[in-house]
Amino acid sequence: MDFALSKEQLMIQSMAREYAEKNILPVAQQIERENKIPDEILEGLAELGLFGIAYPEEYGGAGGGYEGYALAMEQISKVCGGVAMTISAHCMTLSTIMAFGTEEQKKKYMTPGCKGEHILSVAFTEPSTGSDPKQLTSTAVKDGDKYIINGTKRFISNANWPGTILVFAVDSETKRPTAFLVDKWCEGYSISEPWDKIGMHGGMLLDVYMKDIVVPAENVLGAPGMGYPILQLGISFGKIGVCSITLGAMLSAYEEALKYAREKMHRDKPIAKFQAVQLRLASIASLYEASRWMTYRLAWLANDVKDPVQFAKEAALTKTFVGEAVIDLMRDAMAVHGSYGLINDYKITQLWRDSIIAPQIEGVTDMQKVIAAAVILGNI
Amino acid sequence: MNIVVAMKQIPDLQQIRISNRRPVLQDVPLTFGGIDKSALEAAVVLKESLGEVKVWVLSAGSEELEDTVKEALAAGGDEAYLVIDQSLAGADSSIIAQVLAAGIKQLNDVDLILFGEGSGDNYSGQVGARVARLLELPLVSYARDIKIDGDTAQVVRVLEDCEEVLEVKLPAVITVLSDIGEPRIPSVTQILKAGKKPKQTAELDDLGISAGQSNPVITLSNLAPESNRKRIVVKNPVELVEKLKSENLIGG
Ligand SMILES: Cc1cc2nc3c(=O)[nH]c(=O)nc-3n(C[C@H](O)[C@H](O)[C@H](O)COP(=O)(O)OP(=O)(O)OC[C@H]3O[C@@H](n4cnc5c(N)ncnc54)[C@H](O)[C@@H]3O)c2cc1C
Repeated sequence: MDFALSKEQLMIQSMAREYAEKNILPVAQQIERENKIPDEILEGLAELGLFGIAYPEEYGGAGGGYEGYALAMEQISKVCGGVAMTISAHCMTLSTIMAFGTEEQKKKYMTPGCKGEHILSVAFTEPSTGSDPKQLTSTAVKDGDKYIINGTKRFISNANWPGTILVFAVDSETKRPTAFLVDKWCEGYSISEPWDKIGMHGGMLLDVYMKDIVVPAENVLGAPGMGYPILQLGISFGKIGVCSITLGAMLSAYEEALKYAREKMHRDKPIAKFQAVQLRLASIASLYEASRWMTYRLAWLANDVKDPVQFAKEAALTKTFVGEAVIDLMRDAMAVHGSYGLINDYKITQLWRDSIIAPQIEGVTDMQKVIAAAVILGNI
Repeated sequence: MNIVVAMKQIPDLQQIRISNRRPVLQDVPLTFGGIDKSALEAAVVLKESLGEVKVWVLSAGSEELEDTVKEALAAGGDEAYLVIDQSLAGADSSIIAQVLAAGIKQLNDVDLILFGEGSGDNYSGQVGARVARLLELPLVSYARDIKIDGDTAQVVRVLEDCEEVLEVKLPAVITVLSDIGEPRIPSVTQILKAGKKPKQTAELDDLGISAGQSNPVITLSNLAPESNRKRIVVKNPVELVEKLKSENLIGG
């Protein structure tokens, strides 16, 4: 067992840290205010290979594996959650295509994505459901060698950027969810204004309206009716992104709490001298460490998924733990700050808003537990 | 054209803690000195503008160099020449200069040798000059800018209150300031390819230098300066301004 990071992994980590501190930090407040990531930042991330870090070079990726991805995302998110979220949703789509695409589909759809020329999306959630695929209402009617897709998708990350969107719709033949590779901005595609969400500003969240979108049958990912298992595995890869983003917020809150505890004085002593504050700092450190190693392990597992069901279980367990740990950690970090933790001049307020998102997306925590328990119990 | 950049492996200064006024070096990752990274950047920029240039990374140090050198190869170095011996980790400037000069002699047709003006840790600023002397090459120090035209280099040399523009015939040794270039951030692909770039390693024996040479200069102590807080308490902003003025911290 070796928990040491390799030189390459350390270099990827410091590269992402350096880029984030030099280039993203100066515009982080602007992103927070305007809910928009400047184009130069997206271009810079693309040049460094961060849009396709985990994927093989033959599909335009950088070949850095999922550990490299997790390490880089953590550092970017530490500076700006919204930027990391944009990459995370994009990479979830790439991972899904990587797992289920034909050679041709991988070359065609992954290459511009990995290079950052396209920013990809997954569209599963609808106004009436996010957790239950059986309630999907979007339809794909087979018409000769093509499908005609109609429906509304809710809360779709990156729906505004050009590129491929992986749409889940119930097809008229299998009557089950099927995954389609659709070009955003094709005829019949339109989007809402961005949702004004609590945190992770810069990460765009929009509704997608699909009106008689025509896609050739060859754009089906996997096979008709396979939408649910595709979503399950794709979202399991997605959880590496969500957990790594969460780690970044945790690490930042950890640093903020430490700094505040050392600086804030009571009776000539920094509050870090009080045992009550020390206990909170120790809790913060242990929650961060546990989350970190669970996430890195999930990333390591993702490099070579042998059994998708077991991997889905591991992803669900990791997301459950990290999604709950971040809330406890933020509570402690907030407590260290006292009332100053509620003042928007302090970074902890933004971290709080950003991190409350983790347990709610890519499957709420309850659903993670349901998934994990089902695998653990098998056929009871 | 061959450009050699001499880079020193040092502990990552940002990750060193000070305990009892002494730096704690245990578990601190190794990297290259900041000015050395700027020297490498200058070489890579020259390569980009001139074309046919090979950038050599030259370093002498402990065996961790095999890993540390990947940073330089990711940031644009083409090939590395490493002299590895445990005794080189804390060796004196004169020994390091002999080792580096011997290393440079192993490389063919070297046109330009770049050094940081001082290393990131000890900052003795001697090695570049010593190597120039040993190789009997001209030396230009404190360079902020280098332009190459044929077999001459035009160098902007920064002094305390003036800048000189000098011309020097190649081959030459130039020590550079960090202002010469901000080190680039390597991409993931460059990082992953670094380990696959060619690398030659030599031991002291190969260069005819004996390992046991003693350091002529011995460091007796290495302590962070003591900072005594003045513990001045003020009651109001007016008093604060007065105190700051009397301490000469704000204008009179
Ligand atoms: C920032 C952000 C980014 C997002 N990005 C995307 C995206 O790119 N693509 C996309 O498709 N979606 C995206 N979403 C949507 C998100 O994935 C869903 O909102 C999420 O899965 C929850 O779905 P829901 O809101 O419909 O909740 P529901 O499914 O309605 O769940 C509500 C509550 O009911 C409970 N519940 C529901 N079903 C069960 C059950 N079977 N067993 C036990 N409890 C249950 C849960 O406890 C849950 O708390 C995003 C959302 C956000 C906020």
